[in-house]
Amino acid sequence: MPTQSPRRRSPLDGPRRPSINVILTSVVVVLALVVFGTILLFGGDDDNGTTAAAPSETLVPEDAHTLSEADPDGPQVTLVEFLDYQCSACAAYYRNITSKIEKDYAGRITFVPRNFPLDIHPLAPLAARAAEAAGKQDKFAEMYTKLYQNWTDWAVQGESLRSDPKEAARQFERYAREIGLDVAQFRADIEAADVSKKVQRDMADGEKLGVEATPTFFINGKRFEPSGETFADVERQLRAELDKALG
Amino acid sequence: MSTRTETGRPAAEAAAPSRGLAWLYVIAGGIGLLASGALTLEKIARLRDPDYIPTCSFNPVLSCGSVMDSSQAAVLGFPNPLLGIGGFAVVVTTGVAMLAGFRPPRWYRAGMVAGSTVAVVFIHWLIASSLYDIGALCPYCMVVWAVTIPIFWYSALDAWPALAPLRRVHSAILALWYVVIIALVVQRFWSYWTSLV
Repeated sequence: MPTQSPRRRSPLDGPRRPSINVILTSVVVVLALVVFGTILLFGGDDDNGTTAAAPSETLVPEDAHTLSEADPDGPQVTLVEFLDYQCSACAAYYRNITSKIEKDYAGRITFVPRNFPLDIHPLAPLAARAAEAAGKQDKFAEMYTKLYQNWTDWAVQGESLRSDPKEAARQFERYAREIGLDVAQFRADIEAADVSKKVQRDMADGEKLGVEATPTFFINGKRFEPSGETFADVERQLRAELDKALG
Repeated sequence: MSTRTETGRPAAEAAAPSRGLAWLYVIAGGIGLLASGALTLEKIARLRDPDYIPTCSFNPVLSCGSVMDSSQAAVLGFPNPLLGIGGFAVVVTTGVAMLAGFRPPRWYRAGMVAGSTVAVVFIHWLIASSLYDIGALCPYCMVVWAVTIPIFWYSALDAWPALAPLRRVHSAILALWYVVIIALVVQRFWSYWTSLV
């Protein structure tokens, strides 16, 4: 064997003999696989327990707003959505899925949007209060629709999130006018303590239910786990679960 | 193995670059370059049409959209993937040059360490943002995380004599590094992963 060549050895050139490195690497990888696998397979049990059925008052408080009410004589199916008005995923869900569900299942399911404004969306708490303020004049659903249909106007500017509350407040007042609200009352309600308390209550409920991201859905108290790759897949899955619940 | 004897030259300068490191630069740098390019194209498509859903947005957890729209996605005022296109191009070029016989002098290797150190610190900040601030994972970004770590690690091992003792356990440390990040990702999005099982 020739003496050491001038080629510099790097760890990537491979060991000369099975080394402590190979052994240690295998140990790390195998241990990690075993630990993750065990936790995922066996630890999943207690997680299923929490997703089985959520307490009803936490999911749908008495004063919750609805986009649609189930026929009292028919099967009672409740779809709860924890949402953030400024989140792009929520807006995309609205455009692709929930606006259609709202229409197609009107009068057959109780559709309850709950507030879950995330910290990362500067205008989300204001938008949540705007919807709740409209709710005080019995126009929650109209404001909800306005906020999502005009999402690209108030929530984003090109690729970045808007963050000027004054400008957003002006836009929301315009929507309030368009849906026929008493704008002065709306302006006062949007800053009212009971309105912001309601948003906070929704968030606290969401946290209790284990909501971490928006949108998160619950069908009759059971968390809906979207598994599709596209919105069309998720829509099909959601419709299938609603249809199953409707029997 | 053919040994080109270059007697008379000081060892440090005569040392040929490691082929392993060169291949790492070409492959990992190339993957990083592709991922950065894909992210840039998604960004352009989204700028053109705000309703555009990126090809890597599958659900609320796996969502390039939420990550791309965050303020952390353009730290220097322009989209981060442009940094990746610049940086990974240098890495690939260096790798190819090394395969062609380029022997990076000390200052060049130190430069690779400096550059990849900035990159590795940056991606860990992005990982923290993605997990704990944005609350979503962007698949192309995760590809960038995955290739930046070994580029940094082996550049540092190559150029930094103080790390010599760690060469003996180089891939164990790399594996441990990955395992810690995977564990954080698994823990953070626990309910999502369990829903897939």
